[in-house]
Parts: sequence; C-alpha cells; structure tokens
Amino acid sequence: MSVTGFLRKFLLLEMMQGMWVTLKNQFRPHITVEYPKETVEFAPRFRGVPRLRKDPATGEELCVSCLLCEAICPTECISIVSEKRPDGKGKQLVSFTINYERCCFCGLCVDPCPTKPITAIYMSHDYELAGYDRDAYVTAREELVDGKPAKLYTR
Amino acid sequence: MSDALVRNLAIPLAQVLVVLGVASGAVAYMTLIERKILAFMQLRLSPRRVGPHGILQPIADGIKLLIKEDITPTRADKLLFTLAPILTVLPAFTALSLIPFSGGGKFTLFGYEFFPWIADVNVGVVFLLAISSLGIYGIMLGGWASNSKYPMLGALRSAAQMVSYEVPFGFSIIGVLMLSGTASMVGIVEAQRQAHLWYFAPQCLGLFVFFVSGVAETNRLPFDLPEAEAELVAGFHTEYTGMKFAFFMLAEYVSMMVIASIVTTLFFGGWLRPFPNVAALGWLNFGLDHLHPALPGFVWFGLKTFLVLFVYLWLRGTFPRYRYDQLMNLGWFWMIPLSIANVVLTGAVVLLVAR
Ligand code: SF4
Ligand code: SF4
Repeated sequence: MSVTGFLRKFLLLEMMQGMWVTLKNQFRPHITVEYPKETVEFAPRFRGVPRLRKDPATGEELCVSCLLCEAICPTECISIVSEKRPDGKGKQLVSFTINYERCCFCGLCVDPCPTKPITAIYMSHDYELAGYDRDAYVTAREELVDGKPAKLYTR
Repeated sequence: MSDALVRNLAIPLAQVLVVLGVASGAVAYMTLIERKILAFMQLRLSPRRVGPHGILQPIADGIKLLIKEDITPTRADKLLFTLAPILTVLPAFTALSLIPFSGGGKFTLFGYEFFPWIADVNVGVVFLLAISSLGIYGIMLGGWASNSKYPMLGALRSAAQMVSYEVPFGFSIIGVLMLSGTASMVGIVEAQRQAHLWYFAPQCLGLFVFFVSGVAETNRLPFDLPEAEAELVAGFHTEYTGMKFAFFMLAEYVSMMVIASIVTTLFFGGWLRPFPNVAALGWLNFGLDHLHPALPGFVWFGLKTFLVLFVYLWLRGTFPRYRYDQLMNLGWFWMIPLSIANVVLTGAVVLLVAR
C-alpha cells in the first residue's frame, strides 16, 4: 500500500467524505412526493390493474371470449364465462372476473388478445387497490369495463 | 418535615424525579429528531402528520406502544422475560445520576441548597464504566428468556460485541484521568477550566476511541449487530412487544444520552462555555448568569450534548452496518491497541511535563 493510500485509510478520509455528503444533504430540499396529496405522472406503459374496455369508437364489446388471456395468465386469476350469441355468430361474454388478490400485474394477458389494434383487456393506470374485505379484490365484469371511479385519498 | 429529612430525602428525590422526567422527555423527542435528521439526510420528509411538523409524534408513539398487546411467548421464562427490560433500563438511568449538568457549585432555591447534579462521586468515571456494563445483563436475559433462537443469537452477538468494546471504552478514559488527576466528573470539568483547555485537543485519540466504543456499546449504527434486522429479525428483542419493547428502546436512547454526556464532560469541558476563563467572552453566557449563575451551564451542557448526539445520528445516516467479523476486528485490532497507545503517550507526556 502506498503511503498516501495508508494515510487515506488511517485518517478515515473516505469516511469523512461520506459524512460530508450526508451533511450537505441536510440542507437540500426534499424530493419526496407526498402521495395522498400529489401523484406522479405515469409512464404510458405503467402497469396498474388489468381492465376490460369497449370499443371507444362504437361502444361495442371488444372481447370475443377467445379465452387466450385466461389460458396464458400465470396465476390463473382470470375466469371467463361466455355463451353463443343468439344470431349464432361468435360468443358473448356472460361474466369476466379477475381476482386481483392473485394478479401479479405481469401484463401477459394483454399480449395474446386478438382484438388488435385496441386490445379488449389492457393494463390500466389504476393502482389504488386497498379494500376492506377479500371480495373487494374480485372484480365483476361491469366494474372491469367501466372502471372503478377514481378514489381520492386526499385529506 | 424536619430540616434533615428535607435535605437528605426530599431534595435528592426531587432531583432524581426531575432528571428522570427530563431524560424521558428528551428521549421521546430524540426519537423524533432522529427521524427528522435521517429523513433530511435522505432527502425525505419526516413524520409530519401528528401535530405541526410532527411534534406530537412521540406522544402518539407512546400511546400506540401502551395499547399494544403484551405478548409473552409460551414456555418463556415469565419472570426473567419481564425483568429483562427493567434490568436494561435501570443501569442506563442510574448512569445519569453522575452527570454534572451545570457548574457554579450549589445554588439555593426556597432556602435550600441544591447541586446541579445528583451525586458527585470521587470514583465517578469508574462507577460509570461499571454501571454501563450492567446493561448487557438485561439484553442477555431478554434474549435467553424469550425461548426462541433468534433472540438468543442476537443476545449472544450483543454480549460478544459489548464485551469486546468494553475494554477500549475503559482504556480510552485513562488519559483524561491522568491529565486531570481525579476520577470525579465535577473534578474533571474543573481541571479543564484550570488548564484553560478542553481535553479533546490533547486526547483526540482517546476521544475517537471512546466515541467509537461508545457507539458500539450502545448498539447504534454502524454497530447495531445485535438487532440486525436482515439476519436476526430484530435480534434480542424479537419476542418483545408493546411497553416491554419500548423499555429496550428507552434504554438504548438513555445510554446514548449518557455517552454523549460523558463525552461532553470528559472531552468538551462539560458545562463550561468556550474559553471559560476569559472574562471578555462573558456575553457567551447569553446574559443568563444574571438570572441565575447556574443557567448558562445548563445551556452549554445541553448544546454540547446535543451536538454529540447529532454526530451519533449523522453516523447512522452515513455508514452501512459492519459485518460481524469486521466489528470484532475493529475492536480488538484497532481500538484496543489505539487506546493503549493513548495511555502510554499521555503517561509519557504527563511525566515529562510534570518534571
Ligand atoms: S396481468 Fe398477469 S397475472 Fe394479472 S391477469 Fe394478466 S396475465 Fe394474469
Ligand atoms: S384475450 Fe382478449 S378477446 Fe380473448 S378473452 Fe381475453 S380479453 Fe377477450
């Protein structure tokens, strides 16, 4: 070890440098986002809870009940019930539930959805998921489609 | 009440109560200050919800701890399990009885004479060392009585750590004792006044060793291995809840205050203002000595102690935790030789100068 190296170590200069950094930080403004009062801008591909949507142009059901999302979901949290349409063409959703207790927000369900370019299932920006009982985490189809009204936690 | 009864019983009791109250209050607010300082170091906010800027947070914490469920693990040794927190707190508070909070000898209040300290023992420093090493019994017993292996491991590590740092802790003080020629806390401060010198200058090595060992003794970061939450799930107090847990924390913070007070007393001139013998600097007493001669002493003592405590928190905000073998290495390979070297050096200098 060189002499300067030894002196640096013996006089704890590196430690002093570290302490200087923290001392300087004492006087800097904080960078915390005070969450309930303010939120951050999300990146466009931010993955909140998966939700269903209707065609924004026509208001028609986008999902064709192909069950691809149910099949690919690694945690098996999607369950779809569908029936034949009265006119015999294709299927119609009866119920579409996602159990958010199990969902890991992986986004795999969005990938195979065939209703391109607008997928019927999509990762929404809704992330405020607190609930008071376990039922709060099993969402019915209506809720999925229309989206829960945004809760404001501001006090 | 007879005069003797008041002087020998009521006054000491009142002093003890005042010191206990002030110390407990200081501990409560130190937890808040600690959170604030740590938060500012990490560019975070600190508790701000309870009261303006969170100043009622310690009270809320206290209430929370009081109403928490008090759990004793099955097949734990009930008596020792309850006794352990008390055993940790008592020595910590006892050490406070020796700290001289202000100078100027006695002052009179309601016609009775008071000292601004509880006891001035002529073996004060030695007694402090003895008392501060008692806290480990509480930790050991708490870890053992919990009937669980994590507290047991935490307690064992704690014992090893505290024992190895006890040695340099004691050695590093000897230099001060040599310079002042007394082991009484009041006497040491007086000696610093007469020497026109605070002992941190000639004893910088001793101060360094003492402070580092003190941090290790009180299990604070970066030496908080007994409660390493990553490996031990909180160490010796894993099984403790509510008020019993709070007692351990209380002991830790009181010990911190004791160490800071000792550092202030031994190395930074205790209650003395800077350059205590220069009459021209009398304005440093803030005019408080016109109110009462003992008051500026309290202020300066509090100020210095707070600064030392700030360094404690500063260290916590800066350094990562030591690995266990590094801790032992530091204690046995660096701290003990350094403290012994300090004793030898001081002894040689004192001998040469005294001739
Ligand atoms: S995000 Fe992942 S876990 Fe959640 S529903 Fe879609 S596929 Fe399943
Ligand atoms: S993959 Fe898309 S279209 Fe197919 S069932 Fe799921 S949401 Fe409906």
